[in-house]
Amino acid sequence: MDKFKHAIIAEKLTKCFGSHLALDDLNLRIDDGEIFGFLGPNGAGKTTFIRILLDLIRPTTGSVSVFGLCPLENSIEIRSRCGYLPGELRLDENITVRAIINYFVNLRGGSSKITNNAYILSERLSLDLDPKIKNLSKGNKQKIGIILAFMHSPDLLLLDEPTSGLDPLTQKSVLEIVNEAKDEGSTVFMSSHIFSEIRIVTDRFAIVRGGSVIDVRKTSDLEIHKTTIVKVKFNGAIPHRDTLKMLQNVSLKYVSSISKTLNFEVNGSMDQLLKFLSGYDVERLETSNDVIEDLFFSYYDTKK
Amino acid sequence: MSFLVVLKHSYLRSLNYILSWSIPLLLLGVLTLPFYDLVAENEKQIRPIIRGLSPIIKSFIGGELAEEMLTPQGYVSQRYFSFIPVVFGIFAAFAGSGMLVSDEEKGYLDLLMSHPTSRTALFLGRLTSIILQVITIILFGWVGLLIGVFRSESLDFTGEQLIIPYFSVFGITIFFTSFALFISLVFPSRSSAAMTTGIMVIAGFIITTLSAAIPDLKTIAMFSPITYFQANAMNGLNLIPFFGLITLSLILTVLAWIKFRLRDLRIIGEKGW
Repeated sequence: MDKFKHAIIAEKLTKCFGSHLALDDLNLRIDDGEIFGFLGPNGAGKTTFIRILLDLIRPTTGSVSVFGLCPLENSIEIRSRCGYLPGELRLDENITVRAIINYFVNLRGGSSKITNNAYILSERLSLDLDPKIKNLSKGNKQKIGIILAFMHSPDLLLLDEPTSGLDPLTQKSVLEIVNEAKDEGSTVFMSSHIFSEIRIVTDRFAIVRGGSVIDVRKTSDLEIHKTTIVKVKFNGAIPHRDTLKMLQNVSLKYVSSISKTLNFEVNGSMDQLLKFLSGYDVERLETSNDVIEDLFFSYYDTKK
Repeated sequence: MSFLVVLKHSYLRSLNYILSWSIPLLLLGVLTLPFYDLVAENEKQIRPIIRGLSPIIKSFIGGELAEEMLTPQGYVSQRYFSFIPVVFGIFAAFAGSGMLVSDEEKGYLDLLMSHPTSRTALFLGRLTSIILQVITIILFGWVGLLIGVFRSESLDFTGEQLIIPYFSVFGITIFFTSFALFISLVFPSRSSAAMTTGIMVIAGFIITTLSAAIPDLKTIAMFSPITYFQANAMNGLNLIPFFGLITLSLILTVLAWIKFRLRDLRIIGEKGW
């Protein structure tokens, strides 16, 4: 397997659907062998980005490469090395689980190794292969998607909300499978709405808003530096941005002059911030150590 | 390799669908042809009735050639092959419009195309499957005719004679299939494409039929593909209209292929993103 420093490189990637701007000058580099999370609400552009990687849709402007290859010109090779789990998984309902797995195994060359992997995964996920797909629950259908994505031990996994619809035990199994894939050298790109999942599994994650990446963080840094999100609502005047520059371990994440609210990210001790705030009329102060969730919402707080 | 996998899967998945068209067609031949014995027996009573029909009514049973229905070849042409293009046209409307866009609208095409299968392989695999489905249904129909001839005391046709009109059936079916396929990718909507093709089939049949009695319709009938269908091809197949339909089908198919290769796949749902 060729080793690339970056499994995925996106530069100034833009995608328009008519007048709707789905991706807006998106820049992103995903390292080979890492588990990378993609956080964003519905419509932020997560699925659009993944579909561009697989040449299901084409960018309007900008460039993207997967393993150094252009998806438009090398789609077959890229897809042979990728495993994809769609966010809204749809399957041919009138055939059995076994038949659909065999079909997709055959589309990947029909090797016995892939077939064996598929059956091992189905046992691990407790999926019965004999029923027709239309008789399965949402969770069991999702298991089929997971098998199809992982069965050929791909170099790159593109997972759009992989644990959606799964019970907690199966969620745990899936995250274990993701970690095992990484240990075997795969790169994993996964979008999720579940903050604990991002915290547990990913090496880095990006927050997406309006089709752009607005922040990329190393997951471990947030834990090591004991980052705290602090939301402060003021009664009177709010501090000017320039006055905050003297605070060394504090960064301003969000400002609402109408609701008189500031959100801070504090790395380490809160002492400097508290002493700073003592000079102002503070109505309410909230802290949270669920860093990823609060970091995410700090970019999406729409109260004005 | 992917082409063969897609072809095999698509064809086997369609077996119930094929049978649902094939068996009624087979029964049509089995049950319709032996009735010629009754027609032949009562020819002297039936002929003046046909002559007395109004031109418009007569147009639905062959127009100027309505009395040909009393001959063996005329009977098979009028009573069996004359409306077969409508039957196959409706099949083609659904088959062609649903070939790709049906799975796209269900959201299944995303998963399929995330595998190492080219769009061309998927396109050709499914199209070939539809062609094989048409051939299979035609073979069932042909067997039905053979059994019908066997059951009749007055009809005496060889298998070769009975299969020749089916070449024209094949041509018209492939045309409607490629038309439905092309517009399903252009609209893009499966239901709109199926409806448009269905209207073309039905309206074309009515216009072509009535043009035998209403001369003003002849110009419009030139644009109806049904006009180029040869129900009386047991006497010999005219290759020009046959290859004309095949050529038009090829053009529409190539245009559909180009459209499919170039456009974005919709994520799920109909008409839009």
